[in-house]
Amino acid sequence: MSLGKLADIDRRVFYWILFIALMVPFLNPIGFPITISPNTQDLYDGVTGDEVDEGEVWILNFGYGVSAWSECHPAVTVCTKALFREGAKIIITGTHYDVELTYNKLQDTVPDFAEKVYGVDYVFAGYMTGGESVVAQLASDIKSVFPQDHFGTPYDDIPMLQDIEDYSDIDGVLSSDTGDFGTHFMTQWQGAYGTKLAEIGIAMNGSTDLPRWQAGNFFGVSVGSRGGAELEQLIGELGEATTAMDSISVSHLLLIIAIIIGNIGVITEKLGGKN
Amino acid sequence: MSNVFKQEVVYAVTGIVTVLMLLEYFFFENTQLWAETIRTWAVIIFNISLFLGAIRLTMSHSLRIQKQGRDWQFSGVLMAIFVVMLLTGIIGYVSTGVQTSNGIYNWLFNYVYTPLGATLYPITGFYIFSAAYRAFRARNIDATLMLIAGCLVMLKNAPVGEAIWIGFKDLGNWVQFTGQVPGMRTLAIVGALGLIAFGFRALLGKERGFYAGGGE
Repeated sequence: MSLGKLADIDRRVFYWILFIALMVPFLNPIGFPITISPNTQDLYDGVTGDEVDEGEVWILNFGYGVSAWSECHPAVTVCTKALFREGAKIIITGTHYDVELTYNKLQDTVPDFAEKVYGVDYVFAGYMTGGESVVAQLASDIKSVFPQDHFGTPYDDIPMLQDIEDYSDIDGVLSSDTGDFGTHFMTQWQGAYGTKLAEIGIAMNGSTDLPRWQAGNFFGVSVGSRGGAELEQLIGELGEATTAMDSISVSHLLLIIAIIIGNIGVITEKLGGKN
Repeated sequence: MSNVFKQEVVYAVTGIVTVLMLLEYFFFENTQLWAETIRTWAVIIFNISLFLGAIRLTMSHSLRIQKQGRDWQFSGVLMAIFVVMLLTGIIGYVSTGVQTSNGIYNWLFNYVYTPLGATLYPITGFYIFSAAYRAFRARNIDATLMLIAGCLVMLKNAPVGEAIWIGFKDLGNWVQFTGQVPGMRTLAIVGALGLIAFGFRALLGKERGFYAGGGE
């Protein structure tokens, strides 16, 4: 086979190579070492230690669906564990229609829920719609957005919400998104009132989120599965993201090899043409 | 008369609401009741639009099934699932107040929707793999620079990069934080300035693209 043909390999060949290569780390984990990025370290520091006092109330927003569980959920799991262990209370809400599924998964992945009391230590407010308007409204009057929790309990009957009215009663926001809700919380909460805000996003959003972390809008950022794996290392409880890192290593390496092969073919074709 | 309602009233309402919300955001430290009311209206209108979307979806696919147009069978599957989810959700809500209390609704969500959703996104990895091979070609200096930067960031994100050579992390970080962040900041600022200009044009009634009919 001439090198020129390397530029035109059938796509199905790549699909099979990737499929088979991804099997290897699942059958035989490699375990490459994972170093911590500064943005992830800042996120972890912001939800642990002196940065969180007992009794603080945080909002956790699920802006991602089932399809992004692999990227966002490990980091959300670690942050929830960290906040619970610091004695913080959490209002869980969601701007993605998969919110209930994600809430159920969080119950499975965070064993600390077993020691917490619903309505006292955490509450599941449920799904909210309305784009940036509802985020703004949440800042000015939480009860108007959630007159009752997801299970139909009236707002006034939930003990931990008795003294919660607006942004001034909220100590921090964790927004995990595949879309724009991190930006909406930045505009309507962090920018307007200085609320502590962190973003847990998919890898694709890293290029948008990292400048905001550098500018101080987000106190920390977790980027994709890698961010989740770093957080799992920091809390000392390895999970789904750490397992996925081997697959990410294999797939990224194969991608680079494919790009090199494609370019060898192009260069050879060009040289052949010139000759 | 109808033209007045279609255009002039819409301009006036848009302008008034814009001014009120700008005033509240920039000049009042605490939120104002009238602004909260407007925001609540916005949320209600947004929810109504979801309802209208569901009606439009039903109409569109019903029509396709009726006419047996192209791929009408898919519309049939969509409508069947739509009706099943709607009915089981309503039954669950009426009986216990929580729509997910219905067994069929829960089963479809947990054992059909969840695996399909979880599979859909990773499948794109296969397409990206094939597309990168075909599209990432060093045909000129710009494409070469982008290709090298992309590879460095990939090697920085994947732990294997550091295992091959520890310097990939620093190079990837340099590309991401020193190379890319200024570009994203520029985009963000330019986009924000464009949005302000768009807002002023809308306020003055010059930006008519989002009104009925569109165009200036």
